[in-house]
Amino acid sequence: MAYQFMKNIKPEKLNLDTNQAGFSELFVKSKDKHGVILLEDVVKMDLLDQYAENVIEYTSRFNCANSLSYAPANITGKYVVYPSYGDFPDAYFLRSYGKWWVERAAYQKEYMLQDLDPLSAEDYITIQFEIAVIPRDICIYEIYNPGAIVRIWGKTNTGDKSWVVLWEGQPQICLDVSRKFHPQIKIINNLVNTIRLEFNQSHLKYHTSIDAVVLGGYIQSELVNEILNVQLKVEKNQKPIQKQEQINEVSDGKVSPDYFSDLPYEVVIHIFQYLDLKSLFLCAQVNKRWYEICNDPALYQNLSLKRYWHIVNSEVLKTFESKCKNIKKLDLSWCGNEDPTFKVAFTSFLSARCKNLTHLSLGNCHFVKNEVIQFISQCNELIDLRLKNTPHWRISRLDCLNKLVSLDLTSSLIQDNDLIQILKSNPNLKHLIIDLCEDLRRLDHVVEAAAQYTKKLETWSSWKSPSLSFEGAKHFGALENLTDLDLGWCLLTTHPIDSLTKIAEGCKKLKRLILSEWRGVNDSLLLPIILNCSDLEQLDLLGIRSLSAEVCETALVTLKKLRLLDISFCTRIDQTQVELWRERFPHINIPRSCQFLVNYL
Amino acid sequence: MHSIWVTGRLLSRAIWNGLSNYSTSSADPALKQKSEPCLVSAVCGFSKDKKIQRLLKGTFGDDAWFTAKQKNADVLGVADGVGGWRAYGIDPGEFSLHLMKNCERLVNLGRFQPTNPSELLAKSYYELLHHKKSILGSSTACVVVLNKENSTLYTANIGDSGYMVVRRGKVIHRSEEQQHYFNTPFQLSLPPPGYQEGVLSDTPDTAITDNFPVEDGDVILVATDGVFDNLPQSIIVNELVKVQGERSASRLQMVANSIAWMARSLSFDETFISPFAESAFANGINTIGGKPDDITVLLATVAI
Repeated sequence: MAYQFMKNIKPEKLNLDTNQAGFSELFVKSKDKHGVILLEDVVKMDLLDQYAENVIEYTSRFNCANSLSYAPANITGKYVVYPSYGDFPDAYFLRSYGKWWVERAAYQKEYMLQDLDPLSAEDYITIQFEIAVIPRDICIYEIYNPGAIVRIWGKTNTGDKSWVVLWEGQPQICLDVSRKFHPQIKIINNLVNTIRLEFNQSHLKYHTSIDAVVLGGYIQSELVNEILNVQLKVEKNQKPIQKQEQINEVSDGKVSPDYFSDLPYEVVIHIFQYLDLKSLFLCAQVNKRWYEICNDPALYQNLSLKRYWHIVNSEVLKTFESKCKNIKKLDLSWCGNEDPTFKVAFTSFLSARCKNLTHLSLGNCHFVKNEVIQFISQCNELIDLRLKNTPHWRISRLDCLNKLVSLDLTSSLIQDNDLIQILKSNPNLKHLIIDLCEDLRRLDHVVEAAAQYTKKLETWSSWKSPSLSFEGAKHFGALENLTDLDLGWCLLTTHPIDSLTKIAEGCKKLKRLILSEWRGVNDSLLLPIILNCSDLEQLDLLGIRSLSAEVCETALVTLKKLRLLDISFCTRIDQTQVELWRERFPHINIPRSCQFLVNYL
Repeated sequence: MHSIWVTGRLLSRAIWNGLSNYSTSSADPALKQKSEPCLVSAVCGFSKDKKIQRLLKGTFGDDAWFTAKQKNADVLGVADGVGGWRAYGIDPGEFSLHLMKNCERLVNLGRFQPTNPSELLAKSYYELLHHKKSILGSSTACVVVLNKENSTLYTANIGDSGYMVVRRGKVIHRSEEQQHYFNTPFQLSLPPPGYQEGVLSDTPDTAITDNFPVEDGDVILVATDGVFDNLPQSIIVNELVKVQGERSASRLQMVANSIAWMARSLSFDETFISPFAESAFANGINTIGGKPDDITVLLATVAI
């Protein structure tokens, strides 16, 4: 009855105070379904649709920061490619796809296997909209290999500015057509103007690409505010009742015998090791003994808070500081970017607990500045350091470390000389990732140093480092243990001369070789690689225009272990030929970018 | 039945390609009172070959063009792909098309300064390198930006495409041609690796830049050499006078069409003494008639 009455009333005449009773009824009704009041049930309002205005941060990028092609910034504004489908530079393009990245030897293994994200989000992008709205509708224009979005977060604009999951779901297997992805989002009544998309690309055949994002919602108005105020009041009135019920439940419950007390402490600890953090924190509230067990440092030797980035702040880190007396592996990737005091908390954590730390991962942590690097350089036991996407430090003290085995400096500002110093002091280095490091201006010298000092090197990845020349590339031939060599976009327009021959002769163990956009390569230059590196599993020849079908056929036939051959944009190779290969070599993945133009006129 | 439909569609596409008109909506008479300066524009052009090669918006044969609007500026640009690359198996239209498309994208994303069109060209040229599809070839280019803040036109030009600004029947500005030698303009280029030495390549900084204030009603013509080589200046000015102060895009379109048509017919006229023939004669080459070429006409008027 009250519900009907409310609907008929005109918005400007709505006197909310007198209608409180009606609201509470409505609230209860709505709450059953969504947990909050449905604004649109009260007043008819128009949705405001808007395209993204700017990109706040991201984890994955295909191209250099100063270029617009394939750049994250392309996600802003109206769609430009849709409804066409394919590989276009005008949209945002993610760097990884499929299992290929995860299977690399240099890939960071999870530190806490008992606490994995069920949707295994690999990458994210955070985007901002001009006007904060109460979100009702999100539409994502996916124009290449859709289906990778697994979670959508919204950051509430009011109060505690917390992150809320608006939608989550398993990665989807989709048709090869561009689509508008329209998930049914969670109904919340908070203003949101920042959203974050999380991706899991592990099931995709090739890169995914996003053209635009639309956020639809209701703008803040006095009317909306009034309704929300009433909702708050109603909630306040109801909460105490709920609490009482809970208390009753607990006191009614029978106390069951505690079998755990009979078990030896070691066994209990072992059992607790299989619990994720959330369960541990819940168990800690059971009783005093459990509290003590749950705080045992043995449970916190390996700690990964990446999954909980949205709630990790300096307080949380301080809580862990007392538990992690014996920490060995720490993953704080994606964390701490909302909290200005996090840097201080982290440095105090590190100075207190760095004694045994062997693994440290700080991907996309913006608090990693010069001071933080100073603290990291004092963790003498570090063997695995990941500083992916941390572009806020310049002064490297990392050459103080001397036990490093893996080092990931993707998208950092590391400079040539600093990197050479690190190589000199870390003879055990096996995996070096320096993708998209634009401050490496003389990469040839770095390769030379690597060939001299780090003979054990297995992985070298310097995607998009234009300062490499054929002279530098020759030195890879001296690194005979190399299995994974990623030199994509390095020798873009220059001629490789004999560098490929040197690599072929020296690096016989190569399993993965990325030569994307080595535009000067031709059949005869590539042939030594095919003939010498018989262990090759992945070969990326994207964008090498002069390659012929014959040399690819040779590769497919000769390389018995080959599983991936990327020949996208190799314009001399005919598509029908590729189809024939796919039939003849079903065990080999032969991706080829396509561009299906629809209504492009 | 199906085949008829397909032919019909192809035919209409052919016509579309031959005489494509794109008018901007800013010419709405209702917006006349807008205080902010802007450009009302129209485009027309022809491919040299009657055969259709590419059915893409923004191209006429090897020519490419774009128009873009931003809060602080209106931008027009044309580029003419150098046809000589066809002999090397390279599609000359690809370079010019992507050069213009990148400019458009840079403007739309606000990554440019309205006062520095040559920087826009340089950035766009740099972007070509980052395209996965390796784009080779070379192109002339001309970009004109109306800076709304001070109603000033900023221009950058490389090679023999160009612009002309006419106020009440007088040419107040015309771009200079840059040529290495006769019929070989300055050009931005990306040669195949290994060919660098033998190829003419001018850097984006060689662009001639200029800036001058414009008044309400000024007519701006941005066109490729297919227009300037075939139409004497007097004929062009005669046409441009007709749209002095014009704010209706459709009337602008008519004049753009007629300029393009004239250039098109004269380019195939074997007896006409075209500006191209005159210039050839001055270089000691005895030739007569028009110069068959791709033609792109971008016509705009300033509305303040």
